[in-house]
Amino acid sequence: MRFFNFHLMPYPSLPDDYDGPAWVTCPNELFDPAVGQQVYNRYLDELIYSDELGFDGVCVNEHHQNAYGIMPSPNLMAAILARQTKNVKIAVVGNALPLYDPPTRVAEEYAMIDNISGGRLIAGFVVGGGPEYYSFSINPAFGREKFAEAHEIIMKAWTEPGPQEYIGKHYKLRILNTWPRPVQQPHPEVWIPGAGSIETMEFVAKHHYGYMGIPYFHIDIFDRTFKMFRDICEKEGYEYDPIQAGWLTPIYVAETDEEARKQYEEHFWYFIQRLLPGINVNPPGYTSLRSIQSMMKGIGTFAIALKTWEEVMDGHYVAIGSPSTVLEKLEADLERLGTGNLLGLFQLGTLPEHLTKRSLELFAKEVMPKLRKRFPDGRRMLSSSARVA
Amino acid sequence: MADINTDLFETDVGKVQLRRGGTGDPLVYLHSAAGEGQGLTFLNELADRYSVYAPIFPGFNESEGIEQIDDMEDAVFHLLDLLERLELDAPNVVGLSLGGWMAAELATRYPDHLSSLVLINPAGLYIQGDPIKDIFGRSPAEMAKDLFADQSHPIAQMMHQMERTMADSGSLKDIPFELIEPQLKSMAAAARLAWNPYLHNPKLPKRLKRIKVPTLIVRAERDTLIPAAHARAYADEIAGAKLVEVPDAAHMISIEKPAELATVVTDFLSRVPEPA
Repeated sequence: MRFFNFHLMPYPSLPDDYDGPAWVTCPNELFDPAVGQQVYNRYLDELIYSDELGFDGVCVNEHHQNAYGIMPSPNLMAAILARQTKNVKIAVVGNALPLYDPPTRVAEEYAMIDNISGGRLIAGFVVGGGPEYYSFSINPAFGREKFAEAHEIIMKAWTEPGPQEYIGKHYKLRILNTWPRPVQQPHPEVWIPGAGSIETMEFVAKHHYGYMGIPYFHIDIFDRTFKMFRDICEKEGYEYDPIQAGWLTPIYVAETDEEARKQYEEHFWYFIQRLLPGINVNPPGYTSLRSIQSMMKGIGTFAIALKTWEEVMDGHYVAIGSPSTVLEKLEADLERLGTGNLLGLFQLGTLPEHLTKRSLELFAKEVMPKLRKRFPDGRRMLSSSARVA
Repeated sequence: MADINTDLFETDVGKVQLRRGGTGDPLVYLHSAAGEGQGLTFLNELADRYSVYAPIFPGFNESEGIEQIDDMEDAVFHLLDLLERLELDAPNVVGLSLGGWMAAELATRYPDHLSSLVLINPAGLYIQGDPIKDIFGRSPAEMAKDLFADQSHPIAQMMHQMERTMADSGSLKDIPFELIEPQLKSMAAAARLAWNPYLHNPKLPKRLKRIKVPTLIVRAERDTLIPAAHARAYADEIAGAKLVEVPDAAHMISIEKPAELATVVTDFLSRVPEPA
């Protein structure tokens, strides 16, 4: 089992009287630079702190024009972390490939981060969330085609000698010859996050990459998603390796169960009620009909519909409580889901710095070691093309 | 009213649904991004006077081949192929909204393939300060207000009902998939042609002068989706084009006011001189 601290870098100061979406059209007048300069540095400190606490990795991700996560360039954050951390893997989960033209830029920047960090990058590739297609006016009907071509370009740039040529439908590169090349050979470990679309799972399984399940669903939906992924790996002709899957979930640890809820609940609801609205758009042609039909089975459990704390607990939307309670919950859920990576959202919504750091400490000292014992590193069957150097 | 029958017709990109019926000079109807055609009595009205051909564009309804069409250029070549296979040398071409834009693109490139052009609430232009409202991200209830003059029309009612169901459950999950599937397909196909640039071709305005055939622009007075400036711009740029405004009608005029619209179209076409 590997443990990651995943930071969304949310905007914590939406005014009380604003009840619109946090995405795409959320007025940028609401962004206060005084808050910005404080939280960016604070959030980086929290990630750096998890390196000191012995986490295996930290995660950052990419979203645009929104208050949910003010990280339009995760690569900037990863570059800072490459210098300011020593041991952790730096997982960028990921770059939204269709938003980079040409996608050579991703191959370049990821290779820079891998060099600066001494080979600690995990390279995440995403199709981009639905809102991104509105925010960047990118045609969603070609999102997956562009993603596939961009991925091919990056892999060619990293693994085949240049100069070479790439002539595709969406990108035509007469001279592809990326400098620098990554430290990890043949290339960094690759992760792809997904919300349950069949196309994404098939892509990940085919390439023996890691599949990271996107959070905010009922635990039953994760169970179903990872089962689907395991089946799809089998259809590809191999047995799924737990290290190929990651479960992303909010985690909060305090001294006691009562304190945990008392300290955490309002910050959780800020996230659910203020930052999620607007995330769930599905632009035309972005998801195939068969995936929409399949994903609609779970959409009713999306966290935005949550009304009571009992529902939150019933669906395991957050692993919260004293160290022993959190350990018990995570043991059961990880056993059930079978993933070899736990991606914890330790800071969420408006959760302040001192509580976030205390939760990280308690988790690292009292939960993580026991989970490591309970789930020792399993098989590492990643294909040679995706092996970590 | 004359009958309209539907069959599958082989084209360059695969089989498309083709609704046809009636006798007389050929008339081709190009539908909007709603993919209308099934039960569209406007076609039956026209079929009393014309041989009506209403192809369903690839990606809409059951028509195949959208994966081979990336933009309006591909769409026009597909239409040319269709007209050739139907052996229609110079049909009257009538288009609504997205279909109106398609008809205008066809007419600028291949003016000899038409004997007349009727653009109804046409998309296709960008006019600063008068944008076409969004069709790709708004709620069904908002859309219904732009598409129908009378909100008690059954389709408008259905859109409002869909909105209520979504508000109740916070999602689409309680709406039968069969009901939303055609809508998902229509919007996905339309996005390929019209996501960005949004519902227009920046090169179209300067090309409109190439259109030499008799042209009618129909504007529904209560079309709040596409502002009046768009119809006026088409009428100004196409030599000799006539502009007619229809009262008490909104964007989906061919669905909501089939008889009135058919009268406007046939009045115009009956005055078009026979091709030499």
